[in-house]
Amino acid sequence: MHIPDGFLSPAILAATGAASAGGVYWMSRRAQGEIEESRAPLLGVMGAFVFAAQMINFPVGAGTTGHLLGGALLAFTLGPAPAVVTMTAILAVQALVFQDGGVLALGANVFNMAIAGVLGGYLLYRLLGGSRSRGIAVFTGASASVMVCAVLALAELRLSGVPMPPALLGVSMGLFAVNAVLEGAVTVGVIQALARLNPGFVKESAAPLRRPVLAAVALAAVFLASVGVWFASEAPDGLESLADKLGIGGRARAILAAPLPGYDAAWFGNAAVNKAVAGVLGAGLAFAAVLLLGRILFRKKAA
Amino acid sequence: MHHVVLERWSRGTSIIHRRDPRAKIIALVAFLAAVATTPDSCAPFRLPAYAALPLAAILAARLPLGGVAARAAVVLPFCGVFVVFSLVAGETQRAAALLEKSYLSALAALAVAATTPVARFLAGLEALGAPRFLLWVIQFLHRYLFVTSEQAQHMRQAAASRGAGGGFRFRSWRLRAASSAIAVLFARSYRRAEATYRAMLSRGFQGRIQLLYELSPDWGDALLVVLGIAVSIGLRVAMVLPA
Repeated sequence: MHIPDGFLSPAILAATGAASAGGVYWMSRRAQGEIEESRAPLLGVMGAFVFAAQMINFPVGAGTTGHLLGGALLAFTLGPAPAVVTMTAILAVQALVFQDGGVLALGANVFNMAIAGVLGGYLLYRLLGGSRSRGIAVFTGASASVMVCAVLALAELRLSGVPMPPALLGVSMGLFAVNAVLEGAVTVGVIQALARLNPGFVKESAAPLRRPVLAAVALAAVFLASVGVWFASEAPDGLESLADKLGIGGRARAILAAPLPGYDAAWFGNAAVNKAVAGVLGAGLAFAAVLLLGRILFRKKAA
Repeated sequence: MHHVVLERWSRGTSIIHRRDPRAKIIALVAFLAAVATTPDSCAPFRLPAYAALPLAAILAARLPLGGVAARAAVVLPFCGVFVVFSLVAGETQRAAALLEKSYLSALAALAVAATTPVARFLAGLEALGAPRFLLWVIQFLHRYLFVTSEQAQHMRQAAASRGAGGGFRFRSWRLRAASSAIAVLFARSYRRAEATYRAMLSRGFQGRIQLLYELSPDWGDALLVVLGIAVSIGLRVAMVLPA
């Protein structure tokens, strides 16, 4: 789901670009700080590994094959911050060398696949880490990472005004769901095999979160960010009242419309779409706030 | 592998190849921003005028026009899906706009990628303030891409020659086999990274990677930046002028 240039509206490009620049800067500082200096070669070679692993196909049925996306696998083995940096590097190489995904759209692609996908999947993995079977945590985290990427990408396209007839949208969501299940299954297989090869490969930070309230809020944020975004783009009217209640409808409209006075007025005039933008912004902000909170709390606990 | 071609193209010595990577990156971003902000109502007849800029760069760089145009077509499969979506929704003009904008953007990105070796591109990004740690990771990734991909190919061939290949039916053992193969590849890559780092240390690595390029911008680079921005803005304004 690499979005090329030419699809996203300037507002979406600016918003995702800013979010990604900040997120990647932060994560690369963290990845650099939290582990030994040998990490730059390690992350680079593991990025090359994900490229190569994508060449190993497995049959999905109905004559098609799927392959690993790898973001969740990296998060479960290298840790979340290194995984974000590695996925960003992969997306950068795909955009620059392979013309897979746009250059301006790199911000959006990084946001979907390297930041939201990896962190969303990792969060679920941590939340379920306490349950008896690690397999469940791995499967759920890996599947969720794919679904979060897909839903965000579709929502961004929808908010940019790319038409999506409901029937076709349903078909593509179905395909993404199949991909998500496969990603989960293969990631479980890989993690189990890795644990057999060398238990040190799998990050043992899958300890249960000690703070159930935080865990519940975090889970709600992931849920809101993916399902909420989905509803926002699919049924804008449903979020209309929510956006107004939260008081972000008007403000988001003003922020998004201001830099683009002449841009495609017919579309921007559409109230329902504006409400959807507000809803997505709200969900995104909630997600970011909870992640930030979680980071701060974990750091305190570790110290 | 197809990106060998890009590697060869990027090693030319034309007037475009010699430009400072920063100048090319700035001109590219200006052009992409102009295309991205153009209203869809300019499709299908006005938008193609944007092609003038990437085509001029490709010709000045003496790259094979047909080859570059064909490579830029990698965006078309993704576009195709949404063009169909737009047509089903009855928005013909939007479909044309998506097709033209994404192809023009890919052509421009390719014109820069095909005239700038990756290490030089990264030196330009570093000078523009991108996080250095991320750039190191990108550089290592690019260096080990072929090595690891070849290893994956060997493993695939080995599996096929032992009877694992063929057929498209879902079988759970094949999923298991694929995950085990990926795990082995993971372990090998991990070991390779450690060996690489030890080799770097033994050769006196001090914790800082020197990029091989000294950037020294000249008047030609300034001209490229000014031209790139001016022509992009000019085309963007011309798009919305009344006919």
